[in-house]
Order: sequence, then structure tokens, then C-alpha cells
Amino acid sequence: MKTTGPLLLLIEDDPQLRPLLTTALESQDYTVLAVTGGREGLTAARNRQPGLLILDLGLPDIDGQEVIRRLRTWSELPIIVLSARDQENDITQALDNGADDYLTKPFSTAELMSRIKALLRRVAKLPGGGAQECFQVDELKIELTRRRVFVGEQEVHLTPTEFRLLSVLVRNAGFVVTHRQLLEKVWGASYIEHSHYLRIYMGQLRHKIESDPARPHYLLTEAGVGYRLNTGEN
Amino acid sequence: MILCIEQTLLKSTRKTTEKPSDYQHSESPSHGHWLWGIAIPLLLTLIDWPFREILTTSNILMFYLLGVFFVAIRFGFWPSILASLTNAAAFAYFFAPPIFSFAIAEPENLAGLAVTMVVGTVTSKLAENVRHQARVAEQRERRASVLYRLSKELAEARLETEIIEIGVHHLYAEFGGRNTFLFPDRNGLVCYPNEPPLDISLQGADLGMARRVFNHGQMESNSIDTFSNEKALYMPLTGSTGTIGVLVLESVNPRRIFLPEQRQFLGAFINQISHALERASLAEQAKDATLKMQAETLRNSLLSSISHDLRTPLAAIVCAASTLETDRGYLNEDRKRKLASAISEEAQRMSDLTIKILEMARLEAGEVVLNRQWCAPEEVVGSALRRLDKKLKGRQVNVSMPDGQALVYVDAVLLQQVIVNLLDNADKYSPSGLPIDISVETTPFGLSIAVADRGLGIPEDLQEKIFDKFFRIHTESAQSGVGLGLPICRAIVEAHSGEIHTTNRSIGGAVFQLHLPVLEAAPTIDSEEKG
Repeated sequence: MKTTGPLLLLIEDDPQLRPLLTTALESQDYTVLAVTGGREGLTAARNRQPGLLILDLGLPDIDGQEVIRRLRTWSELPIIVLSARDQENDITQALDNGADDYLTKPFSTAELMSRIKALLRRVAKLPGGGAQECFQVDELKIELTRRRVFVGEQEVHLTPTEFRLLSVLVRNAGFVVTHRQLLEKVWGASYIEHSHYLRIYMGQLRHKIESDPARPHYLLTEAGVGYRLNTGEN
Repeated sequence: MILCIEQTLLKSTRKTTEKPSDYQHSESPSHGHWLWGIAIPLLLTLIDWPFREILTTSNILMFYLLGVFFVAIRFGFWPSILASLTNAAAFAYFFAPPIFSFAIAEPENLAGLAVTMVVGTVTSKLAENVRHQARVAEQRERRASVLYRLSKELAEARLETEIIEIGVHHLYAEFGGRNTFLFPDRNGLVCYPNEPPLDISLQGADLGMARRVFNHGQMESNSIDTFSNEKALYMPLTGSTGTIGVLVLESVNPRRIFLPEQRQFLGAFINQISHALERASLAEQAKDATLKMQAETLRNSLLSSISHDLRTPLAAIVCAASTLETDRGYLNEDRKRKLASAISEEAQRMSDLTIKILEMARLEAGEVVLNRQWCAPEEVVGSALRRLDKKLKGRQVNVSMPDGQALVYVDAVLLQQVIVNLLDNADKYSPSGLPIDISVETTPFGLSIAVADRGLGIPEDLQEKIFDKFFRIHTESAQSGVGLGLPICRAIVEAHSGEIHTTNRSIGGAVFQLHLPVLEAAPTIDSEEKG
């Protein structure tokens, strides 16, 4: 079989879903290595050097969260987590542990593909200096080094904290950043429990950037998990 | 006496434990009565004395007889006998010649005196009977009115505890003894009550004896406990199906309780209380039965609802999938894609239903622990609108949120679910071109959210029912749904100690309004660089 795309590692224990996902991914020209257990997955991640990991959180041998934690001790391998619904806590925990993105079951393959593509694109960009100077989506334009933000032609004046908050989201544009990660990166580790800071500043930021803050276009809420800066792709 | 009972009742409700005053049962006349027995004849003698020349001795005897009647009626039989004797002595001494001597010379006077005494005695006896009967009638009337009061109060009582309290108070007021009601527990053994005792409750009753009385249905009496000499009566409470409990009554005045009339009276008391208790327990059973029936109906409607709503998409999925499976090249690409998208759509519908059913089950099981955080209503509404982005495409949604950034302490994910469900309903049940209005208000008292549509509204008699599980106004409507959206909303709102209700708008359409109370003042932040 002709497969030219990067190697994807799939850790999924469900015997129905595993072959279906494999087929779907292979149809998009990815090489897929599908395993059933967490240990097996960790070994494969070490030996086969995959480009991306798709991880189901409910695994029979070791907990999915533990797989992420162990993997993150030695690898920057991008991780997409698959989770059953109604588990905001699990998702938040997985993201805090170092997963890059998540999908709740049931999801469409189209959605999975777009997440994989976005994640691979981000990884591809990083080694090139990482200094993404300018971010633009629709009307919103952010110049990171010059610390300037424009909506259309109009420059928007942000406070230093607002700008820090926005820049963290820009650096992870298109991906969820959890409340905890934002609090830690913008205010510092001692503010992790003070989620109201985040809510208040996010509100202020929206009122400066969004045309209708009640129906945000750029700064999207992932209820119970965190925020995502819209890249106009989804 | 009735007044006295009322006072006792009032006092007992004020938790004082004053003993009710005994009412007079004794027939024996007091010293005063005896004194009147002498005083009346002497008074008559004084009155008659000036007229001794005018009046004949038989006239004077008549006056004396009148005095005897008076004494008999007012002071009873024995004082009137005394009055008769005093009359005889006074008549013989002052009026019957020879005067100032107890001798009576003329035989007609002697005969008159004898007749007077006999008549006096007989009429005294008759008067005494009349008095007694009047007293008995009065007693009966009093008892009847006491029983009436008891039955009236019992009729108003709904709960077993209320009935027992009324019983204890009335028995104490009427029979003067502390008392208590004992009932069998689940194993059928009589045991002490769980409720805290009233001040006038009898404590420390002999359970062994109570159990014996309960089992045999026969009254017994015994000392209350081994430490006191006070006696207590153990009486079975008899209902229509047998003994339902035991009354233990301290017998302060055993004679009073053992008098036949009193026994009957006590029996009537116990009967009334037993019947009231039985009525209460039957009402309780009937309520249980209704609840069970409702649960049964609910289970049935759940099953029919789930089987209908899950089978329909399943049928579509199975049909489309098997068509694709057995295709031998007859289907063109376009057809195949249509079948595939039907599968995906129906599966999504099933997934939504399953999520709702699971969520309801989770909320019902009380497993949901609110993850309250400070968050802005604006954000919650915003994320709800985004979740319905596709559905609400082409529909105007007006959001009025004057103070959307004020923080509220809620579970954002669940509150978002509430708004999503309400918006989803508004979208489903109002014509597609008409706008939906959301208004959010944050006040110091809480957060109010209203979602209003321009649909048909909800008939007034169904505005409460619509929050019941599996209830749908049009059961077989084209709109998919299991009738769980609003019950989920209510469960979530109530978990926040809030309330949700619906009304109709004057311009047509329904408004769903929820209010969540504010529990704490919003936190403040260091205003480092507000700009």
C-alpha cells in the first residue's frame, strides 16, 4: 500500500472503533500504527517515533492520563485525546497533563482530520525559530513583538495583562488552553485557584476585540475546560 | 369545666405542665350546707314569730316545709333532713302550745308536724334525684363536648405525629395523667417512639407489658416502672384490623378512671384516637400506592419514549448501512454519499438522545456535584449560542445583557446546558423566521435569565407539567426529543437552589425564565492596570 504521510500512533482499546479509525486515517494517506493498550503504546512511541498520538482515555491496562504523564517526561509528541462525553474534568486534566487537543465521542472523522492537520502544522512551524511574529484571523491582527493589536484598521489598546493573556492564546492558536494553563502562564503559579481573574480579563478582552462580546468570534469558550483562539479553520 | 380544659390546652401548648383541676365528683355536702340546714329554719322562726297571733300553726308548718324544699334543692338531701329536724324542734318550742317547751299539747299539731316531716323527707328525696340527674346530664353534655372537640381536632390532623400530640394533650387534660402512645416497629415489636417526648408525655413505660397488651388486646395495669409506686394503665388501641398500638396512661386517680362512666368515656377517647390513627395510616398507604403507580406510569412512558425515539434513528441507520453493504455497484456516488450522511445524521440524533437520557439519570441519581466557579453570564450565554451555531443559522437571536460581565458563582457547564436546552426548544417550537430573545440580568439578589420565542406558547394548564419527565405536548410530533430537555433544566436550576417557570408573552410565544440566587459577593481583583 502506498502510504506517504507521517506515522500516526493510535491507542484505542475498542475493537470496533480501532479498525474504523485506522481505515479512515489511512484513507487520508497517513500511516497508522494501532495498538490496544497504554504500555504497548508507550513502547511503540519510543521505538517507532510517530509524528502524532491519538489516545483514548479509557484504556484497559494503564490510565490514559498516566500515558500522557509518562510520555511527557521524555517526549514532545503531539497528543490528541479521545474521550467519552460528560467528562470535562478528564479533558481538563488531560490537557493540563500535556495533551494538545481533545475530541469527545462521538466525533466525525472530518473533525478528527482537521485537528490532526492543525496539530501537525503547528509542530512543523515550531522548529523554524518559533517566533511567529504576526497572527491574523479575519479582522483581528496581532503583532507579538511590537505588542500591537488591530481590529480592522483600528488599533486596540490592551493592558499588559490583557496582552499577555491574548499572546498565550495566539501561541496556541486553534487549540484549547485550559484555565489552569492560562492562569499559570499569565498570572503565575500562585494564581491557579483564582479563576475569577481569568474570567474578568477575558471579559474585558472580548469587549475590546469582539464586535459582539456575547457571541464571540475570536475568543471562544470551551465550557468547563478553557479557551481557544479561533483560527478561522473550524 | 370546659374553660378549665381550654386553659390546660393553652398551657400545655406553652409547654407548662400544670395539672388540671379535679372536678367535683363527691356527693357529700360541705360544712356550709349543714349550716344552712340549721340557719334556714331559724330564719323562718324569726320571721314567723311576730305573726304568731295571726297565723295558725298549720300555716307556720307550711312555711317550714317551704324552707325544707329550699334547702333540699339548694344544698342536698341530708341538710334538708337536718332542716326538717330543726323545724320540728323550733315549731314545738316556739309555736306549738305550750310555748317555750318542746312538749306539744294538741294532737292536731303533732299530726301536722309528723305529716310535714314526712312530706319534707319525700320531697327532699325527689329534689335530690332531680339534682343528681341534672348533674349527670351536665356531665354527659360536657363529655360530649370534650369528645366533639377531640374529634374535631383529630379530623383536622393529617399526620400520625399530630394525632398523637392531640391525643396526649386531651387525655392529660381529661384524665390528669401523663400518657404516651406506643406503636410496633417494622418487626411488629412495640417500641418507644422516635419523636422527642412532649412535656406531658409519660416516659419509661414498661415495654414488656406494652407488648403483652399489644399481643393480647387486653387492658392491664401496672406500676410505671420499678422505681415508683405510681400505677399506669396499658390499653390496646384497637383499629378495624386489630390492635394498632398501646396507650399507657398514668392513673393519678384510679377511682376516677375505674368508674364505669369514666371507663366508657376513656374508651370513647381511645376509639376516636385509634380511628384517626388508622385513617392517617390508610391515607399514607394510599399515597404510597399513588406514588408507585406514578413511578410505574413513568417507567412505561420512559420505555415507550425511549424505544420510539431510539428505534427510529436506528432503523434509518440499519437501513442505510445495509443498503451500502449489499450494493453491487448499482448506487452512484451521489446516492452513496446521501446514505452515508443519513447514517451520520441519525447517529448524531441518537447520540444527543442518549446524552440527554444519561444526563437526566445522573442528575436524578443525585450524582451531580456542582462545580461552581466564578464566571460571567456573557460567556455562558456565548458558549451556549456557539454550540447551537449551526441550528440557529438564519434565525435572529437578540441578546440583552446589560451587566453580562458581573461574575456569578455557578456551574458554568451545567448552566450552559440549561441555556442550550431552552434555546433548542425555542428553535424547535417557533416558526423558523421569527426571532428568539434572550435577556440576562444580574442583580444583587441573583441571576435571572429569560429565553423567549414567538411560537404558539404553552397552554396555561400545562405550564407546570411541561417540566415533567417525558412530557410532550404533542407526543407524536415531528419534532424529535424525549421530553427531557426541560426536566434537565429544572434539575440543574434546582441544584443551584434556583427556580424556573414558564409564562406566555402578550405578543405570542413562550418565555422560560430562571432565577438563581446569589450566595456570595463576587470576588474582587487587584486593579493593577485597568485601562
